Amino acid sequence: MLPYIGRRVAQAIPLLVLLSVLVFALIHAVPGGPLAMYLENPNVRPQDIERLRHALGLDRPLVEQYAAWLRGFVAGDWGYSFADGRAVTARVAERLPATLQLLGGSIVVAIAAAVPLGVVTAARRGGAVDRVATAASAAGISIPVFWLGLVLQLVFAVALGWLPSSGRSTFGAGGVLDVARHLVLPATVLAAVYAAAWSRYLRASVGDALAQRYVVAALGRGVPSRVVLWRHALRNALGPFVAVVCLDAAIMVSGAVVTESVFAWPGIGSLFTESLARRDYTVLMALLMLSATAVIVLNLVADVVHRALDPRVGT
Amino acid sequence: MNARRAVRRFLPMVLVACGGQAAGPAASNDLLVIGYDREPDTLNRFSTHILEDIESCVVEGLVTTDERMNVVPLLATEVPTLENGGVRLRPDGGMDVVWRLRPGIRWHDGVPFTSADVKFTVDAINDPTYNPESTDGFDRIASVDTPDSLTAVVHYKEVYAPYALQFARGTLPKHVLQGRDIDRATDYNRNPLGTGPYRVAEWKTGEYILLERVPHYWRGDEFPKIRRLLFRFVANTNTRINQLKSGEVHVVALVPWDKAREVERVAGVTIHRMPGNSYEHVTLNERHFPAFADVRVRRALAHAIDRELIARTVLDGLAPVTHGPIQQMSWAYTDSIRRYDFAPDRARSLLDSAGWRDANGDGVRDRGGQPFTFTLLTQAAFAIRENVAQTLQRQLRDVGIDARIQLVDGTAISQLWFEGKFDAMLHWWHMGADPELTLFFAADRTPPAGRNINYLADDSLTKMLYASDRTVDATRRRALLVSAQRRIAELAPEIPLYSVTRLDATPATLVNFKGNPTNTGIFWNVHEWEIVPRGR
Repeated sequence: MLPYIGRRVAQAIPLLVLLSVLVFALIHAVPGGPLAMYLENPNVRPQDIERLRHALGLDRPLVEQYAAWLRGFVAGDWGYSFADGRAVTARVAERLPATLQLLGGSIVVAIAAAVPLGVVTAARRGGAVDRVATAASAAGISIPVFWLGLVLQLVFAVALGWLPSSGRSTFGAGGVLDVARHLVLPATVLAAVYAAAWSRYLRASVGDALAQRYVVAALGRGVPSRVVLWRHALRNALGPFVAVVCLDAAIMVSGAVVTESVFAWPGIGSLFTESLARRDYTVLMALLMLSATAVIVLNLVADVVHRALDPRVGT
Repeated sequence: MNARRAVRRFLPMVLVACGGQAAGPAASNDLLVIGYDREPDTLNRFSTHILEDIESCVVEGLVTTDERMNVVPLLATEVPTLENGGVRLRPDGGMDVVWRLRPGIRWHDGVPFTSADVKFTVDAINDPTYNPESTDGFDRIASVDTPDSLTAVVHYKEVYAPYALQFARGTLPKHVLQGRDIDRATDYNRNPLGTGPYRVAEWKTGEYILLERVPHYWRGDEFPKIRRLLFRFVANTNTRINQLKSGEVHVVALVPWDKAREVERVAGVTIHRMPGNSYEHVTLNERHFPAFADVRVRRALAHAIDRELIARTVLDGLAPVTHGPIQQMSWAYTDSIRRYDFAPDRARSLLDSAGWRDANGDGVRDRGGQPFTFTLLTQAAFAIRENVAQTLQRQLRDVGIDARIQLVDGTAISQLWFEGKFDAMLHWWHMGADPELTLFFAADRTPPAGRNINYLADDSLTKMLYASDRTVDATRRRALLVSAQRRIAELAPEIPLYSVTRLDATPATLVNFKGNPTNTGIFWNVHEWEIVPRGR
């Protein structure tokens, strides 16, 4: 297994470099730059813009800027934010825990919903539960995240007053319970799409497993059907399911961008939105490279887990 | 413990937890929560841009602008003028401004605030190693003398009419920043030392900034009335409004117009309407789209647009129609200028006379085989502006002009106008408190030297504008600016649409809220804000 992981990591490095070139070129190709929004202030004159461009090194050739960025990035110096002049590493580090918390919460919620739904609907295909679940997951997959977020805010925060509408903590309060209450709505919204998709996936793979001969044999030996379903069929379906969860977890970060903005969640998703709006190149590069790395790493994890759970998957 | 028992045991706990009061406490003199649309980049007033709401609670200027846009003294004892001897024109063409500081003012750390801080501020901003957002005005200062600790004499190299606002953003504390790299002085930039009613108690990145009152504020121990101000960062407009409804925030500054009716219905919330200092208009870029160089065409466009209809329908009656770049609350405003009423027939005959006729009968006018088709650039994801753009498109279509709408995000749009790469643009300028127009209309102030993105080149107007910049006497300056406004109306370089009204939502129990039409922001008089519960 170790040589395999080593090979995969070695393959990932040129991929990341290529990606950084593409992303760098792309964000610089978009019109506007870190100084464009200063132009909205009538007291900022063109000579101010030129002065700042020079001070920030934005007047150097793009290739030179990229080379400087890459050298620093590899050495762990991710530069300074154009927005507030602080180190990019500090800005990202202070936002990361909130996003990890949101992703963790969402994955728990999504799995908690997807596993029972997927298994039960696989066992009772065409039944009432299956039909309701099918409709619900179609809705879960197709409802826009921002809309669902605003509706849940209206219901649970404005109308019922049960949960806070947004933010990560109540000012002046504290403790685990307060954080948990703030996490409920955003985690539910972010989980909705994945709960729906994963339950459909599990329904199909448990369904396949149930059609296998060993299931018929187990039933024939008198093993109770509940045990066959939850022990035998589910265990066999679990390998690919875990792989899918790992792959999706990396993509979830993109969902977090919208969810965090709607819920004023102070993570890297909202940092990305803010940085995009003002073309904060250094922060954008750091976030995009981080998420690309996360995708590559989780892909690798998915493969490794899949292999571990299913010896039939070869090298 | 099996699953069923677990549910029986924990469900009530979860319900109790959820059933707790989610909405925050009501606004009180202990805590006022402000839903703020963005996190500031820095709290250094000289490094930030546009809005200085939070900063203005902490750092005070020598002057500020009030709710009527008048310049009023703050840390200065009076605003220097020619009449009170505070401004002296020198025979060499320069001028001296004498600032007399209020005695007894101390920075929050107890160090006295003196004229040395004023001098330090000018030197720091003119020092090439510091990168403030703007050096406007400061770069015209030759030197500052400090004859005593409460007097700063600012020597300008030339006459500078907006001198009164030079220190509206405050001053930098010399004893904290001397000899330091201010761009990287994170301690100051994130927690500035001021003389104002509040200081920064906590900045929780991504979440909020908490301000708390300082003991012994110079106006008296009874100020400020409210102990703590909490600025929560809630970027999403809908979420901000939901927070207002659920009582989690008490104040929402700059309520979008399309939310006004919704917010008006929220119990316990008052919406303050304040005429703004900005104006929405259509810029006609003569250089990029040469047909606009003909004044008959520009006037035709102005006559083709039913601004009253837009104000009544799309704008829901919230914003009044305007006819020029200087808005009503400014001391330089005049209404005796040429106006372009909605007159589509007049528009058609003007276009005919300019040679634009529909020769091929396709409904769009043409000249020399070229159809009158231009691109109207405006900001994406700005619902009202998109609606206005569509209305303009339809009204122009009625007189045979084909406008194509192009939507671009805010940052990109700044770049496009700076490079002059557009035909026409629907937008507003954030105008400063000073009614200077030179930057926007003088012939030599096209980008990159200014904001004349109409690329208007009119000698007589340019002369008037520069003369107004060199005139300190208010009456004479006003006369020049009135002539300039008349000339601009004659030339119709752009189509003014409406004045931008500012909407702010506060608790109905908040008294002494006055608002402000300028970049100073609504917190300029926060020291006297007070929550007075009804029935008291």
